[in-house]
Amino acid sequence: MRRKSSLVLLAFAVFFAALSPLMRWYAFPRLAKVPANQYQVVVLEAKNATLLTDTSLVPKVVPKLSVIQTLKGNVEESKKVKADTGRDVVVWDSLSYIVGPDGKMVSQVPERYIFDAHSQDPVHTASESVDGDPVHREGIEFKFPFLTEKRDYFYYDAQARTTAPIHYKATQNFRGLKVYYFEQIVPWVKVPLPKTMPGGITPAALGGSVERWYTTKRMFWVDPTTGAPVNGEEVHQEELRFPQTPDTKPVTVFAGDVKMREDYIDSTVELVKSQRQLILLLTSYLPWGFLILGVVLLALSLFLEARGRRPADPAPDDTVRDPDPDPRPIAV
Amino acid sequence: MRALIAAAIGLAAALALVLTMTAVGAPAGKTSPKPLVTTVPSHP
Repeated sequence: MRRKSSLVLLAFAVFFAALSPLMRWYAFPRLAKVPANQYQVVVLEAKNATLLTDTSLVPKVVPKLSVIQTLKGNVEESKKVKADTGRDVVVWDSLSYIVGPDGKMVSQVPERYIFDAHSQDPVHTASESVDGDPVHREGIEFKFPFLTEKRDYFYYDAQARTTAPIHYKATQNFRGLKVYYFEQIVPWVKVPLPKTMPGGITPAALGGSVERWYTTKRMFWVDPTTGAPVNGEEVHQEELRFPQTPDTKPVTVFAGDVKMREDYIDSTVELVKSQRQLILLLTSYLPWGFLILGVVLLALSLFLEARGRRPADPAPDDTVRDPDPDPRPIAV
Repeated sequence: MRALIAAAIGLAAALALVLTMTAVGAPAGKTSPKPLVTTVPSHP
């Protein structure tokens, strides 16, 4: 009976010991993925920002500018791309909608971002776009990969429509979470004019020959487990330049420090704290738990086996002993 | 010999479980009916 129990325990010990590495290195990379039906809204604000509000080309300081950024997973489109490419993809239709202090729209930039649900490598299709223009993204955007590393990543800049490194700078504590701080500085670069500009400004209204230039310092505080930014900030400057009239000074379109609104930081931190438990379950809690359980079961199995093999106790001795044996040696 | 068979059963069960889990995966769900937001929300 003991031998049978030890064999059953051995089978369970091997089961859990094998499950440990399988869970971490086989199941996790296949199970952890960005959900195709993600829906998330983030509000960012720039206080006392400089903004060009009309065709007078005189920028004004406004008390507050809000950027409402919506990410919406398009499940139907992701199924189509999966059928075409064979890859598990996520299609995000996003909108950055900028609202002035009066609540009226200043500008809007729609995007379609398609990426691998597991690795977050970009996936290229004809529908990939920024502000209605087809683009070819390289690198990441909006979110970092699961188990983010302390290294530089290539980050796609939707304004410049180019990819450049975003640098890991430090590990910090942010509202109870250990986060990685990343920073990217985009030097002054000529960028396309958005389809919608403040105050109904159009290239034609500005005399035709006008260029938009932009620079930014982009900052992200990223939870390394989920790769989700829990805070973001941009020190952002845009101006119009008039190459055919060198005497005309550049005009600031926007200049401000764009930060996430406090209540959205709180809700993002709470969301990330709950989501990271799922990742930790697959990468840490279950693998270690299974390994320990396997070792304990193996030890128990060996113990039972050893007890089962121990020779039986000797039978009771019924012979009558001499109550007073003679201790004296026999003299020959 | 019986110990080897027991270990093989445990290993096979672990492989079968993990392969089934990864083959089934998570459901994709449906696209959210919520719109792309164009007004400043009062709260998250």
